[in-house]
Amino acid sequence: MAGHSDIHEYLADFEDIPGTRVYTAARARKGYHLNQFAMSLMKPENRQRWLADERAYINEWPMTQEQREAVLARDYNRLLDLGGNIYFLAKVFSTDGLSFVQAVSTMTGMSVEDYQAMMVAGGRSPEGQRSIKGDS
Amino acid sequence: MARITAGVASSHVPLLGVASDQGKDRDDYFGPIFAGYDWTREWIAKPENKPDVVILVYNDHASAFDMSIIPTFAIGCGERYAPADEGWGPRKVPDVEGHPDLAWHIAQSLILDEFDMTIINEMDVDHGLTVPLTMMYDKPDAWPVKVIPLAVNVVTYPPPSGNRCWALGEAIARAVNSFGEDLNVQIWGTGGMSHQLQGQRAGLINAEWDNMFLDKLIGDTQDLRHVPHIEYLRETGSEGIEMVMWLIMRGALGKSTKCLHRHYHVPCSNTAIGHIVLEPVDGSVPPSPTLEGNNEAAQAAI
Repeated sequence: MAGHSDIHEYLADFEDIPGTRVYTAARARKGYHLNQFAMSLMKPENRQRWLADERAYINEWPMTQEQREAVLARDYNRLLDLGGNIYFLAKVFSTDGLSFVQAVSTMTGMSVEDYQAMMVAGGRSPEGQRSIKGDS
Repeated sequence: MARITAGVASSHVPLLGVASDQGKDRDDYFGPIFAGYDWTREWIAKPENKPDVVILVYNDHASAFDMSIIPTFAIGCGERYAPADEGWGPRKVPDVEGHPDLAWHIAQSLILDEFDMTIINEMDVDHGLTVPLTMMYDKPDAWPVKVIPLAVNVVTYPPPSGNRCWALGEAIARAVNSFGEDLNVQIWGTGGMSHQLQGQRAGLINAEWDNMFLDKLIGDTQDLRHVPHIEYLRETGSEGIEMVMWLIMRGALGKSTKCLHRHYHVPCSNTAIGHIVLEPVDGSVPPSPTLEGNNEAAQAAI
């Protein structure tokens, strides 16, 4: 909490970071079943059932229809908005055979090749990426 | 008496485990990363440095813990831990042997010191714990050290503050110093450095900030205690917050440290690799501020 006078101010700052969804309690609540669904893919027998019929498997989970459709579409930015956490969503993309770089690049609007080239060249600079309000 | 002889920090990117397991650790991409650990592998194998026990501070990445239970600080008091199946089958690395006597002593001592630890007797350990072992020991048939896992929640907000992590480190040092057996104990902080794995800002790296952080682990400054979460988020990406775990290591090393070895490399996958080996110069930590911690009868009982 250093630097903040109360929890509301602490949480409000998280909305001021460009292109970032901090995994707050509000997101954790919203995404609880989405993340537990993703976690279930840790087990080989669940992965098999998922791969055999994605829609039937996901319908067994008490998620919103919006969350289900975003999973089926592998729309990871949307899933972050709907309460998904990247370490849980990783179970979905690893089941698809994607690496972190391949999956993460889909959230940036860059091709995998361009994203990898950016990383090798030193990564994305924080300049202009720190704050929406402050634009720094 | 047990004593903390050194602190080691390292990133724990899962791809490093893959590189080691598939024999790619000296190729063009991974070679420069692993080369930065050669010094440490030689140092840690020398009899005068070899730890009996490592307190390994790490975070679980939706492996042992799902969303149903989220402990802020958890200590492993079990006999052994198997590598977790993270979705591709478990890494083919040795099981991790615990040190239940010291672990339970630390757990009791921390609770009396008002750190309300979660105690874990059974769990699997993921890349957060096994990758640092690989980086320090390569590919042995059995890990040559006993390990006390100390898991920190850095996934669901809020994680513990940097100040709280540092103070936990100090309490760990008090606990180790009061353990009767003569043991060489190291504490490792893992995770980081700058990285962001999500959203349009993914791929963020901040070498300048990371190196400032490394600088401030050395000597007697305690500035890093006061870095707020929002600074990690803005400057080091959404997953850079893992660096608060390094402050548990730093706190346990006491008043002042010197740097024995340091390594920084970009990139590994989406992440900046950082590694540092520190030795306490003045390892003293403040006395416990709590009643039970100052109570000789209570302390004698643990």
